[in-house]
Amino acid sequence: MRSWVSTLFVTAVFASSLASAAAPKIPRLSNGKPDFSGIWQTTSAADYDLEPHAGRADAPPSAGVIEGNFIPYLPAALERKKKNFEVRDKEDPRLKCWTLGTPRGIYYREPFQIFQRDRDLTLVFQFGHSVRTIHTNNTLHPEVTDNEFYLGDSRGRWEGDTLVVDVTDFNEETWLDRAGNWHSPKLHVVERWKFLDANTVEYQATLEDPEVYSRPWTLSVILYRHREKDFQLIENYCFTLGYDKYYPVPAEKLPSTKGTGQ
Amino acid sequence: MITMKSSLIAAALWLAVASAHAQQAPGGERIQREKTVTPIASGKWSGKRLSDGQPDVQGHWSNTIANHNNWTDPEGGVPGDPGRNGPPKTPRESRAPSRVSDPVDGQVPFQPWAHAVQQDFLAFFHNPVKEEYVEPLARCAPAGVPKSFTWHGYEIRQYPGYLVFLFNSGTRIIHLDGKPHLPDNIKLWNADSRGRWEGNTLIVDVANNNAKARLARTGEFFSDNVRIEERFIFNADGSRYNYVATITDPTVYTRPWTTTIPARRFTDKDEPDGWHYEVAYANQPARSKTPLIEHYERICVENNGPFGNIAVLSAK
Repeated sequence: MRSWVSTLFVTAVFASSLASAAAPKIPRLSNGKPDFSGIWQTTSAADYDLEPHAGRADAPPSAGVIEGNFIPYLPAALERKKKNFEVRDKEDPRLKCWTLGTPRGIYYREPFQIFQRDRDLTLVFQFGHSVRTIHTNNTLHPEVTDNEFYLGDSRGRWEGDTLVVDVTDFNEETWLDRAGNWHSPKLHVVERWKFLDANTVEYQATLEDPEVYSRPWTLSVILYRHREKDFQLIENYCFTLGYDKYYPVPAEKLPSTKGTGQ
Repeated sequence: MITMKSSLIAAALWLAVASAHAQQAPGGERIQREKTVTPIASGKWSGKRLSDGQPDVQGHWSNTIANHNNWTDPEGGVPGDPGRNGPPKTPRESRAPSRVSDPVDGQVPFQPWAHAVQQDFLAFFHNPVKEEYVEPLARCAPAGVPKSFTWHGYEIRQYPGYLVFLFNSGTRIIHLDGKPHLPDNIKLWNADSRGRWEGNTLIVDVANNNAKARLARTGEFFSDNVRIEERFIFNADGSRYNYVATITDPTVYTRPWTTTIPARRFTDKDEPDGWHYEVAYANQPARSKTPLIEHYERICVENNGPFGNIAVLSAK
């Protein structure tokens, strides 16, 4: 009996030291929750096409980022996806610099910054400089059910060290990637954010949409922390590029260039 | 599947709702119209602090005088307005002072050529016969520095090393960690900001301004050589601050000048009003004595709504 207890004790100590050796040391807020503050970006090719594809003129090859490889479209929805694919060089909302949506903003290949407090996480995307708030203060989705947001309404909770975010209230203006994968306003996303180590986050999103998919499906990408010296977001209000011919006050009106023929 | 037809109907409805909404706000009764600006002295901060030592100024704020109709006569409307907001009927001294606090005459010290450019913009503001006379904000461009402080209420969120402004039109990240400015050739709507706290005052050095935004509908402007030093001076109980910014641009002005824009904090004692205090009550699982306030995403360009709004206004 005694030896059985001590064996158990030794085993327990060994197991717990193994666990602490295996558990990554990650940044935490003073309340003990994981602290995702920082500037993040994927290296995956997810934004080109979530599904497996060979290289083509507008996309490098990739084995895809979806569990089970392909999105389980309903038949009519698959037809629309095919049409989107055909016109992707014109119709992708990214080309207008429209807000990319959730989850696309996360795996688009420009950095985004997370600012975190106990009550929320604020995500600022370099692309379009749009802002998403993930509330972690036990509040619920708005009672109003006809909200339609580009980024959805995000309510997070903690499962151990994993941030689980429920996202609803979408509009129909966003695509999931450059290949024309799509969703309806009925989209419901459940995200799981989990540190693999202090500078690496595993991001998982399960998408459910009864009008478009036959069952929920899950994608997963890895996000890396930007650690370059003095790295910062540089606002990219690309939708304003078309205004450059009107603003600012044209150089020929400025005195320094007056009369130089420029 | 939502058809193209129903999405067109939705878009039409949205525009109808949005324009109804727009009629209520810009220039309307909801704009707060205090007549005076109370000076706030720089000094010690004795109020609440965040764990990293910053004075806690988080929350919702808005200017107390007027919107961006007119920079130097903020409550005077846009000169030449052919509509109901025509020339002011009150004597100038009964309205709030110019946002130009130095020089004392309240006028922007433009060089003659620049004054002519500003007057030209103003002359065509109500009849923009060329694209350049359309104010960038009306195209959903960010309002930039310093106009954002006169356009709708905004939220301040603070973090170790950062202070973030979430404006109705644009987002601005103030870096407090002393990193150098971006290379000079990168010009941005919200510029590039490096700040530090001195007592009750946040001092921000603003560079890399793309100078595309006009300061007001009256057309005041600077060039992309501009440098701005901002002082956000908070009062003792954190209920107000004055934005005091010195604007230096030898390309456009005869000398540096200073602008003062007063702001006050909105709290759960205030009713959301869709302009100064543009927030919603959070949906809480249990009734609480203190309502939690949040604001929805503000995306302007995609729906081409007037002057920025949430994506779709609820008809609730």
